[in-house]
Amino acid sequence: MAVMERSGQAEYTKRYEPGDDGLRYQELVYTGNFHGMEPVVDGIKGDKQMRARAKSGVLEKVSHADVLRDQFTLDELNDLNNYLAWNIWDVLVMRATEGVSGMIPRQEYEILAFMHEFYRYPEIMRYVTDQIGAQGVIDIGASARKEIGTKINCVHDWCLGAVAFGMGRCGLLALEVMGPDDYVEESNIILKFMQRVLWGKRQDGLILNSQDRYRCQIHEQSVIDMVMNQVENFEPGSEKAAHFTQFNATAELLAFFDHYDCRLGLGDTGPYPLPDGRLLIIRDLFTNEDVFHWSDICEGLPHAYTLAVVVDPNLMGLREIRVNDISTTFTLPKNYIPYITGGAVFARDQWNTPMGEVRFLPIESLQPEIAKIQDSTFKMYKKTAKMSRRQLCTNGIYSYYIEMILPHLRRAGAYDDVCNKFDFWEIDQRVSQYYYEITKRNFVQVVVPQKIFSGSGYLPFSQDADLRASKGRWL
Amino acid sequence: MLETAQVLAQGYNVFETDKRPSGVVKYLASPQDVIGLIQSGKLKEHILLVRGGTTTFLAPALSMGAIGVITMSGAPESHLGILSREFQTPCVMTVHLPENDSRYVPGETDDSHFEAIRERLDGKRVTLACDDHETGKVLLSE
Repeated sequence: MAVMERSGQAEYTKRYEPGDDGLRYQELVYTGNFHGMEPVVDGIKGDKQMRARAKSGVLEKVSHADVLRDQFTLDELNDLNNYLAWNIWDVLVMRATEGVSGMIPRQEYEILAFMHEFYRYPEIMRYVTDQIGAQGVIDIGASARKEIGTKINCVHDWCLGAVAFGMGRCGLLALEVMGPDDYVEESNIILKFMQRVLWGKRQDGLILNSQDRYRCQIHEQSVIDMVMNQVENFEPGSEKAAHFTQFNATAELLAFFDHYDCRLGLGDTGPYPLPDGRLLIIRDLFTNEDVFHWSDICEGLPHAYTLAVVVDPNLMGLREIRVNDISTTFTLPKNYIPYITGGAVFARDQWNTPMGEVRFLPIESLQPEIAKIQDSTFKMYKKTAKMSRRQLCTNGIYSYYIEMILPHLRRAGAYDDVCNKFDFWEIDQRVSQYYYEITKRNFVQVVVPQKIFSGSGYLPFSQDADLRASKGRWL
Repeated sequence: MLETAQVLAQGYNVFETDKRPSGVVKYLASPQDVIGLIQSGKLKEHILLVRGGTTTFLAPALSMGAIGVITMSGAPESHLGILSREFQTPCVMTVHLPENDSRYVPGETDDSHFEAIRERLDGKRVTLACDDHETGKVLLSE
């Protein structure tokens, strides 16, 4: 593997100084609901700009009592709406340029799933909260601190609010089937559930990585020690480095594929600074989600592989590292792979396999594992290529709507109840009808990128909005 | 020689690398094309040209050792960008033709844009130059 020469020492720690505004990863700027004001940029400076425009304290560190309180104020709801809209733009605006898949109609299933979640999640979240209490929801988030291979992670927890509320509401507004002051009560339920899970996970008063200069340092020291005890150090360009990085890429690809080409298969936390100056990323790759029927292809693979990825920031000349809110690591310079100088691999066979039974896989044993993953990937591809558009859309909706809240339902012990009481796997008649609507007027191809990923469609609640309002009339 | 080679197309460079893969460009239009290429055993003879920037379409090709990828949409933050970086497979995304003003705009670009790129690149022997921070180039090989 080619290691490009770098000049100078790493400067990434400057990003953590209070006065530092971070680096720009893109040239685009965000406006959202702030017309006529200075455009907002990406990264640390963008976070500062957005928080400076908040009318409430909900985007600063909040207390346990704040999180236990059931009702947000109108200003808090609008601040969360605006911040999530920017955050979505920050992490997805460039991804959204990817165009047609040629395989899975992802843009189509995504918008249907967004809207479905906005309709369906509120009663499910209220039911779960009724069963385990507000503290129980906080404890769901907190469980992530002690485990590896858990889907209670950045991307799933973020999706509870950013997708179910943010993108779901935005999609319904764009489709003109609701107004900005409809479903206020339901919006509160979704955002409160999200806040509790994220707050419980971080336990520093914040909820999002972007509020903490893109750090997600949530794991307890005992977990970091357990992982680091198995890390094997190697030279960049060595055979061991090649095996480790090939395994990382091969498993990550199947993890994306098993989750229908989406980020839910990947979960990074970190960066954790190590005593020797290197950085640790703990990466979960979910290669076999057995709740989905198409995962029969993945039989024999574990629910998750967890990788300890140790990067040398000085060798790399690291200028900035972000673990963003959809669990993905981006760096400047962009290519961190050649500067991985240590690693370890673990396998968690089921979602609830106890931590004491997680298996360690030495790097020298990974080649047969890679072959199994490659075989599953090709089988998954051939199977998927035979599916109809309708079937792919339905599976895609499941891969979002079911998947994004599945880990929380499992942890709450409520999954079976929700399946039975709420027909969890059924698709709402309204969204079933939208299947035909979204292909008209270029809704998917144009409106979705313009409204959802550009951040322009996240209309605020008006000052006249009633916090108790659902949708009372169809006129 | 390559420094003076003709630039056939250029776009976002997904990650900086000294690798300079060379091969004949093969345009892949459908999953059946991808399956056929894998089964032919000639995957590593080709630089792969695809329209989208999503991962699944090229999944088995990436997994089994594609040497280089060119896309007509997407960015390094797209899933294909992320995975090509993880595989260290040089990848140039959202390419355009230097002599042509047409640029990809999501949801607005018509088929003629993509067709012009396909016609220009498909079947040509090229080298990918990906050592620049921002821009990746598709160079005509001798």
